[in-house]
Amino acid sequence: MKDNPYLPELARIVEIKEEVGGERAIKSFRTQFIRENGFSFQCGQCAMLSVFGRGESMISISSSPYTSDYHQFSIMKMGRVTTALHDMQENDIIGIRGPFGNAFPVDQWKGKNLIFIGGGIGLAPIWSVLHTALHEQEDYGDFTLIYGARTSGHLVFKDELEELRDKMTVYLSVDEEESGWEEFVGFVPQNVTEKKPSPENAIAVTCGPPIMIKYVIQALQDLEFDDSQIYTTIENKMKCGIGKCGRCNIGSHYVCKDGPVYSWAELKQLPQEY
Amino acid sequence: MIDLAALKKEAKQLLKDEKVTYLLGYRQGSNGHRAVPAFIREPEEVEQLTWDPTCTYNLTRYLIDEVRERNSSEEREDRPVGILVKGCDNRAINVLLQEKYLRKEDVHVIGISCEHAGMVDEKKLARELKNQPVMEIEFGEGDRFVVTTEEGKTTISAEKILADRCLECKASYPAGAEVIFGDKVKREFTRPYKGLQEIETLPAGERWAFWKAQFEKCIRCYACRSVCTMCYCDECVVDSIELAVTADTTAEEKARKVRWAERSPVTSENFTFHLTRAMHMAGRCVDCGECERACPVDIPLRLLYAKLARTADKMFDYEAGSDPDQPPLTSSFTMDDPGDFIR
Amino acid sequence: MEKILTKQALPRWIEQLDAYQIYAPVREQEGWKYAIVDTPDSVTLDYPNTVLSLKSILFPQREVFLEFHSQNGRDLEVEELLPGDAQSVIFGVRPCDAKAISLMDKVFGGDYIDNYYWKRRNQTRLIGLACNEPVSPDCFCNAVDGAPYSTEGLDILMTDLGDRYFLESVTEKGEELLAVEDDLFQEAGKKDQKAVKDLRSGAEKKFERKIPELQNMPEILANLFDSDFWEQESMSCIRCGICTYLCPSCHCFDINDEVETAAPLKGVRVRTWDTCQFPDFTMHSSGHNPRSDRAARLRQRVSHKYRYFPEQYDAFLCTGCGRCIDKCPVGIDIVEVLNKAVDYEG
Repeated sequence: MKDNPYLPELARIVEIKEEVGGERAIKSFRTQFIRENGFSFQCGQCAMLSVFGRGESMISISSSPYTSDYHQFSIMKMGRVTTALHDMQENDIIGIRGPFGNAFPVDQWKGKNLIFIGGGIGLAPIWSVLHTALHEQEDYGDFTLIYGARTSGHLVFKDELEELRDKMTVYLSVDEEESGWEEFVGFVPQNVTEKKPSPENAIAVTCGPPIMIKYVIQALQDLEFDDSQIYTTIENKMKCGIGKCGRCNIGSHYVCKDGPVYSWAELKQLPQEY
Repeated sequence: MIDLAALKKEAKQLLKDEKVTYLLGYRQGSNGHRAVPAFIREPEEVEQLTWDPTCTYNLTRYLIDEVRERNSSEEREDRPVGILVKGCDNRAINVLLQEKYLRKEDVHVIGISCEHAGMVDEKKLARELKNQPVMEIEFGEGDRFVVTTEEGKTTISAEKILADRCLECKASYPAGAEVIFGDKVKREFTRPYKGLQEIETLPAGERWAFWKAQFEKCIRCYACRSVCTMCYCDECVVDSIELAVTADTTAEEKARKVRWAERSPVTSENFTFHLTRAMHMAGRCVDCGECERACPVDIPLRLLYAKLARTADKMFDYEAGSDPDQPPLTSSFTMDDPGDFIR
Repeated sequence: MEKILTKQALPRWIEQLDAYQIYAPVREQEGWKYAIVDTPDSVTLDYPNTVLSLKSILFPQREVFLEFHSQNGRDLEVEELLPGDAQSVIFGVRPCDAKAISLMDKVFGGDYIDNYYWKRRNQTRLIGLACNEPVSPDCFCNAVDGAPYSTEGLDILMTDLGDRYFLESVTEKGEELLAVEDDLFQEAGKKDQKAVKDLRSGAEKKFERKIPELQNMPEILANLFDSDFWEQESMSCIRCGICTYLCPSCHCFDINDEVETAAPLKGVRVRTWDTCQFPDFTMHSSGHNPRSDRAARLRQRVSHKYRYFPEQYDAFLCTGCGRCIDKCPVGIDIVEVLNKAVDYEG
């Protein structure tokens, strides 16, 4: 972290991969810092990306801390800054501030079964924690990934998902029937109910659209997961990233600094305003 | 003099008979002698109603919130909202009707004539009383106000402490309201466009310097916009992001939003904001003066809009809000248009 | 250190402080503002309070963070732009405004140091002026753990004793300002101390606004979170930024890039004040807004000051200056809202 927390470090986009096309396109950007600066992060943390002249946007880091040759950000085209990012080319320069926020407490999860439940672009923050855990897979129990999107075309990291099947159980889903789709058809929470992951010695991590998170948590509770076994991440509009500008708060918590990772046991104690 | 008891009786009856969903009026506030807007829903709450020279608020501003709510609700409320209006406020209703923003059946208008007086300017009052706290201010006989301080009651003439907007008011009687309290009075002290005449005598360079100094003070709190009935756009050119976003709004649309004025409160951006707003007031501003009253840094905003109002008056014989059935100035055309570029 | 300064000698003291930029309240139309004064005898301390609080100097509405430029997008350069090096002394600071700065110190300190704020803060000396009586009927400093003669945040506190000022240094920086030419100050005697004491106890009694349940506010507000109380109290709110922009302790801000030329790219990144009262403050790009209505926004303003900030920093984020009450265009009164919250049953 720099002395001046508002000053971004310059980074070069070294690789851009189109994950999803269409109006809500998703691209993965791999970046390298121009100068060595000791940027070190933990899984779950975010960074503030700058497109100079357009502004900044807080994005979760989707690569794992064990990947040292680049940092990856998987970004949905949504507003002013993300559209500008999508217009960028390889070798273009962006700014990066951070890392910001807390992390998934993976060290506390050793020896446990991990269930990752994602929807759409929500797989990005999960991707970092999943790969962090995979790095020391022998320290944990079984891994399961339950992931879905509107259509198969909206699934991110498709090639990598296939490779993952060698290392863990992967359940995919799409919201509606489509030809050639052989896996589950329906919403992610329904797939959770159908696949019945066991709460025994398990941790569930879920990220996705707020409405999906809500029903996934319900589904997990129905499967008798305890609130402290369920983790999620919160997204709010952010500007400073350091708990000062005042807009991302949930009660006295600043999501940029005290979040974005919360167990449901913690989150339900906060004012329900997010 | 306004018969407050009769006003209350009328209001109570409307609520009792469920002829209105609620009533927009004035009540005593918690901050000294000043009245505040009141939203009265139950007949027994009518006792709160007050009418005094601090009822400056143009309550038609709240019709904007109401219209938005009605337009977005599935079962549209069919009863009107009751609203107290002064002459100026009534003109605002007329503009909303002219522009078809408001439907006539959505309001039940109760007019109050300002008769010989009008609303006080708190700053003039403070100056007049050398900052002595005011406990109460009432309408007195004719154009007199009766002010109560710790030292007792004093009488002050309207001309000394009346708000500028009232001193320049051309129509203090809310003609056309469903029911009107108070009489139509010919006011001797009224001097329309007086402030404008003063500044217009200055040479262009001095006028520029004047406005530059005024706009430099602006802190962009947008109170002028927020308090204004005419500023009913869902999204304003100065909003930092697209506000009217739906699930179908594309990222490109959001990214394309032009930043007409940056948030920085610097002269150029402040000019952009104020002049854009002024242009949107042409033929629409009813001179209720709420913008100028709300402004925390005393920018004489009425002057800007008065300039446009008088231009409309001179060129098109048009007065904003004087006739609810007239087509709006800037969206109508007649063959005798004084501008030859358009023929 | 306690000193006496005659009122006639005030310009002479200011003359001695020629190493500093001197700010003092100056009259502007109907109100007052802090401005740099050029001549020592133009400092007048006979004023109520400024319209814009002290924060407008230490946390200015516009702060340029950095400049960026690039010829072709791949040769980008970024330059940090910190505030200048001028040392300042600000005269006539009301205790409520100074206390608010001590609250901002907490916000802009902590885990992440805000260099822009601290550079200005460290270069500034604050000379307060005690209120011998409330400067407005809206004042309520002593209802929120403050006092009309509080020294919190100040370097020196001055008390008006009629023909002279009683000066007490609060910090080392303050003592340095008093360490000038010998015959300028007199030592404060027992009589002066007694006069100050009497003035203070007299002043305390003149404040009419009270918040009896102040210490229970965090809990009271927590219990009201889901109540329709907020809709009722915010009904007349028109979503302007007056309450927060004039507030001496509201610190929320926005950061934006302002482009001078697009190609080649040249521009600055600036911080500007922002407010929880604007709907776009919390709105996500997707259109989702966690605080989408006036009720949620009033709840945020009041809760931030009387619940969340105390939870975070063990202090209320309000110093009772009364500006938000005085200047609210529709008469929303935070003291009334708090007191109503106590008994609200909905």
